[in-house]
Order: sequence, then C-alpha cells, then structure tokens
Amino acid sequence: MAAADSPSAALRRRDLCSRGIRLAGKMRSDVISLLDTYVERQGLDASASVAAVEGVPVAAVEHWDEQGGTQRLLENLAAYRAFRTLLAQMLEEQREQLGEADAALGRALAAVLLQVSAFAYHLEELLRLESSRGPPSEEGAAAPAPPHLGLFERKLRGLGVLQELAQWAVRSARDLRQLAKLSPGSSSVPSPTESP
Amino acid sequence: DSHIQYERVGADVTMKCGSMDWDAAVTWTANGTDIDESHLNGSYLILKNVDLTQSGQYSCYEGSSWHLKYQTYLRVGTPPKEPVLLCRSNNYPKGFYCSWHLPTPTYIPNSFNISVIHGTREMVCEKDVFPKNRCHIRYLQLFSTVKYKVTLTVTNALGKNSTTVTFDEFTIVKPDPPESVVAKPVPNNPRRLEVSWQNPSSWPDPESFPLKFFLRYRPLILDQWQHVELSDGTSHTITDAYAGKEYIIQVAAKDNDIGTWSDWSVAVHATPWTEEPKHLTTEAQVTETTSASTSSFMPPPTTKICDKGAVVGNGAVAVCWTAGLVLAAYGLLFI
Repeated sequence: MAAADSPSAALRRRDLCSRGIRLAGKMRSDVISLLDTYVERQGLDASASVAAVEGVPVAAVEHWDEQGGTQRLLENLAAYRAFRTLLAQMLEEQREQLGEADAALGRALAAVLLQVSAFAYHLEELLRLESSRGPPSEEGAAAPAPPHLGLFERKLRGLGVLQELAQWAVRSARDLRQLAKLSPGSSSVPSPTESP
Repeated sequence: DSHIQYERVGADVTMKCGSMDWDAAVTWTANGTDIDESHLNGSYLILKNVDLTQSGQYSCYEGSSWHLKYQTYLRVGTPPKEPVLLCRSNNYPKGFYCSWHLPTPTYIPNSFNISVIHGTREMVCEKDVFPKNRCHIRYLQLFSTVKYKVTLTVTNALGKNSTTVTFDEFTIVKPDPPESVVAKPVPNNPRRLEVSWQNPSSWPDPESFPLKFFLRYRPLILDQWQHVELSDGTSHTITDAYAGKEYIIQVAAKDNDIGTWSDWSVAVHATPWTEEPKHLTTEAQVTETTSASTSSFMPPPTTKICDKGAVVGNGAVAVCWTAGLVLAAYGLLFI
C-alpha cells in the first residue's frame, strides 16, 4: 500500500501497535487467571505442563529477532484464529460436561474467547496497513473437528491450549514492539517506541 | 616413581614401599621429615584415620643405601556433596547462564560436567573463562513452553555427585540491578528529591524488552521504606521527603512481562534542598541546628541550655534549641 509510507499511516500503525500491546497484556493476565481457575475446576496439577498438543499453534520460534513485520503479523493472526476455534470448542465441551454447574469457568472462558477474537481483528487491521494484500481470508478454512478424546485427555488438552495461549500473549506484545520499531519508510518521521 | 594418591578424611591408608619386600628395612619421610617407626608395619607405612593435615609428600628410602624407592603425594579430601546450581537470564532474550558451587570444599581437585536438555534437544553450555564455575547458553528458540533440564555432575577422585534443575524460559529471567543511580535535591524544593538511573548494561534490548522499576527510599533515621513502582521511564521525583533529612534510595528492575525482580541497586544518599546553607559537615549524625521552618521534626522548645546527657524528640538526635538560635544567628551574619 503506497499509503503505508505516509506520516498518517505511520501514526496509525504506532497507535495500533500500542493498543495491541495493551490488549495482549490484558489478555495475558486474564489467561493466567483462567489457567488457575481451569486447573482448580478440572482437578489438574498446577505444575503439569502438556507437551505439544495437536492442532495448537506453538508460540516457540527460532530466529525470532530476524522476522519481518508482515511475517510476525501473519503468524500471530494464524495463531489467534486457531485459538478462537479451540476456545469455542472448549467452551462447548465445558458446557456439555459440566452444564451450568460451573458458570464461573464458562464465563472466564467466554471472556478470554472474546479477547482472542478482538485481538485477531486488531491484527487484521495492522495487516491491512502493513501489506498490500491485507490479511488472508478465512473462507473455506473449515474448523478442524475436535479429536475424539476421553474426558481426562480433553482436560489436559484444554490445559495445553491455555498454556500455549499465555505464551502467545507474551510473544504478541514483543512482536508488536518489534513492529513499532521498524520505520515504515524513509519519508516518514521516525517515531520513538511508545512504552505501554 | 612419583604419583598422587587421594584418600578420604578418616580413612586408614597403607602405603607400600614400591616393590620392596614387607620385611625390607626402609625409612619413610613425610615432607622431608622422618616418620617414626611406630607407624610402620614392616616396610609398609600405616596412617590411621587420616586428616587434612596429613596431606603431603611421602617418600620411602631403602635402609642402607638411602635410595629413593617410592614417592607419592597424598591428598586427603572428601567426595563431593550435592552441588548448588543456579540458572538465570540477565540478558533476555539472548540466553542464560548457569553457575554452581559446592556447599563444602573437598580439598582435592574437582571436575564439573553440565548438560542442558530442552525437550529432545541437547544444548551446549559454553564454559566461561571467568568466573570458572559458570557457563552460558544462547537461546535457540524463544517463547517455548518446553522446560529446560540442567544437570550438573561434579566428580573427583573420591566420588561424584549431581543435581538437576528444571525451569522454563520465563521464570529464570532476572535482570541485573539498574546502574548509575543518581539522586539530587531540587533547588527551592525542600521536600523533593530527583532520582534517575539507567537500564542495566547487560540487558541487550530495552526498547523491545522494556523494564519496569521499583524504587525504595527512606530517611536514614527511620527503618521503614517507601515504595514506588514505575512502569516506564528511568527517573522519578520523590515529593514527600522529610525536609533536611538524609535519604537512602535504591532501585530494582524487572522485565515488564516475565521473570523476577533484580537485586537492589547500589544505594545512593541524598538530602533535599534546605534554605540555610549548612555550616556543619553533613555526616551520618546531623545535628539539628538549622532554623529551617519547613522541618517536620520540630524540636520541642526549651529555654534550658542543652546538656550532653539530654536527649529529646525521637531520641535519635540531641536537640539544643537555644544553641541552635545562636548558631542560626551566627550563620545569618556570614551570608
């Protein structure tokens, strides 16, 4: 987008990055509270760490500092879209499993799902600014069916989803700070990185 | 033939004089001093319940010819106890280091071997030249939920021991304390102190990985600290300082999102601006002789001449009101 080099685009981008960083921060602290609630309600061991859950986007990345702005946004967007689906599945399973018995957990899950959706939307906005192609569409990408798992496996899978989401929330804040550092074009006034 | 022999504290040691027969006539020396025959069993030297002081060079000479038949260096020590291992990242996201020590010395040489496993991958921890008991690792991946498992094995001639620590990428992050902490009075502001500091130089990228700070301050004469948490910036103005009191100030740092607080920085001292120039040197015990009307510690008025034994107010400082008036008047004369 030619507009990406304009001063107003640079300002908008800086603004989106700052807000995104704040969103990521809030999301992270809510996910951590949710994790505490989840572990307690599901009767899991708080120190359990679940290795590589299938279908969950992994936050771990090599050569992170070498990534370009668009690549960062694309990876983040793909992850949060996946989490949106995963959390919706978890919410559904939780309602089936516990019914109304655990409204608190349901509410907390729904609140985080909302934040994940909002963050995905925010990333789409940034991608429109960053890349002439804009964000990839979601049409035709059918949500993968949740694997058939026993109750305990489902609980562990849920734990893995939330642990990885907490990790992503930290990574996203870092990604957005890196993005904010990149100067959009030589014509624009270099802007200092805003601290959240 | 000279070699080294390692034995445990408290062990019984039997030394043979090389290939000499048991009934050969020999003389043993320890660090050049003849050993009494009572310690000999034939030509064997018997040392019972050895202690650290018995380390040294032991030599065996043939009786008549004084040929050196055998020599050994005895080193008395202990097998290693479980080592203490600590891993920390003060330069996130570059990597982390692990350092170790033994809780008690072994008195003999030890070798250390460290292994770092991340999931299925074995990583190499590069030994530092200084300090010796330390190695560092570069992160290959960031934002991983997979834990790191570090095992340190210490081995010496008398045994081995090991310890393992397991941690994830975020929990070991602990920056070094902030540097160049400076505290200055603010002119014409008797209750303010301006504090500034810098990010620790070991923190590689404060722009992308900003630090937040914790400031603590108190007047020297009180025990209780005031605390301020600052989410950004490397300066802060204290606005509630007690006038005329010397303050001690420290700052700590933490990554904005992960890890733990650093240790406290080096302490700095500062006293807020006061109206009258002080004629007495500002040392730890500042005598209250200024007539600064903004002082919160007003000494109780008394018409008595202060005697040495009198202690008023909070007991920490002897206050002499009348003497103060005299000195203040004196001070004014010299302005």
